[in-house]
Amino acid sequence: MRCRFIIAGVGLAAVLGAGITVYAGWYDISATDQHLAPTYWLLDTGMRRSIKYRARGIAAPDLADPARIRDGAFLYRQHCLQCHGAPGVAPAPFALGMTPVPVPLVHTARSWTPAEMFWVVKEGIKMTGMPAWEFRMSEEDIWSVVALVQRLPYFSPDDYRRTAVPGLDAYEARASSDWEVSIRRGRIALQQYACVACHRIPGITGHEARVGPPLAGIASRTMLGGVLSNSPDNMVRWIREPQQASPLTAMPDLGVTERDARDMAAYLSTLR
Amino acid sequence: MMLLPLLLLSACQADKATPALGGDPENGRLLLRQFGCGTCHEIPKVATARGKVGPPLGGIAHRVYIAGVLPNTPENMASFIRHPEKHAPRTAMPDLGVTETHARDMVAYLYTLK
Repeated sequence: MRCRFIIAGVGLAAVLGAGITVYAGWYDISATDQHLAPTYWLLDTGMRRSIKYRARGIAAPDLADPARIRDGAFLYRQHCLQCHGAPGVAPAPFALGMTPVPVPLVHTARSWTPAEMFWVVKEGIKMTGMPAWEFRMSEEDIWSVVALVQRLPYFSPDDYRRTAVPGLDAYEARASSDWEVSIRRGRIALQQYACVACHRIPGITGHEARVGPPLAGIASRTMLGGVLSNSPDNMVRWIREPQQASPLTAMPDLGVTERDARDMAAYLSTLR
Repeated sequence: MMLLPLLLLSACQADKATPALGGDPENGRLLLRQFGCGTCHEIPKVATARGKVGPPLGGIAHRVYIAGVLPNTPENMASFIRHPEKHAPRTAMPDLGVTETHARDMVAYLYTLK
């Protein structure tokens, strides 16, 4: 009986202590302050287990095609090199200041399956600085990046240089046009294009954004940006090219694709 | 926990701050109703202001832009209320012939909406 009280007491003290540490600001959030070893172990294990669990059931296409690897090399140089470096190429200086430091991908394929790498590239990883590429690259392109990363452990710096050189000419974007409008995807797209950085949007967690108006009830509002009548087509138009509709607006053109804008509009139409 | 009284204290002080542009917030609240601003905007504590044409004005004091085009300062807000089309040529918000004094009172009230 007494033992139980002690355990409960210790537990309570721990929760209280953690609460006070967080609220008082004693926890050091700076990137120069390394994690304690147990914290690092917990986060790292959590990440590894999560990736393995969530990537199950993803089937990889043929990744050995040289054309695909060349496409992957082009995309890698555009989007991955800055943080992860490559055989014989250092990451950009800003990447070295990140906590956790982005891992060099030259050995990744030795410990991760293509499906797991695909999942990480597509979904990104919270609190690591690894972005989600789902709304920036097609699935085909992500597989091409994986095809390249898959080869990296066997590339000498010279091999890498020769593969990466052909670049743009060898690369053809494969845009797929068969898709169905998805409210769920729209919600993620609103977060992925950082709309929540300026607008408060019900259903999407974010800070108290106050740059533009809150989007609660946007579906029943009459005007968009004060200039366009609110219809599904105008919503897509406004999201994709706000400055065409309102030349002086602070809302930027974020390069939203037609598909992503349609999905966003579908989600926003649920906010009555 | 120890910070809570401080927070409450600072909130009280904020309430007593001098009104924006030296306007009369209470009169501004009545004017917002009189000029029919509520037919297009939702405005906290203005009776019948439940319009859905323009954006809601709750929290407008902290919003960064007015109509997406002007940095939100009391002066800019007064100017926008008086001559919206001057700042946003294609805006649906009409020029309602609000006088300078009335605009100042409206701004004084709108700046209490944190």
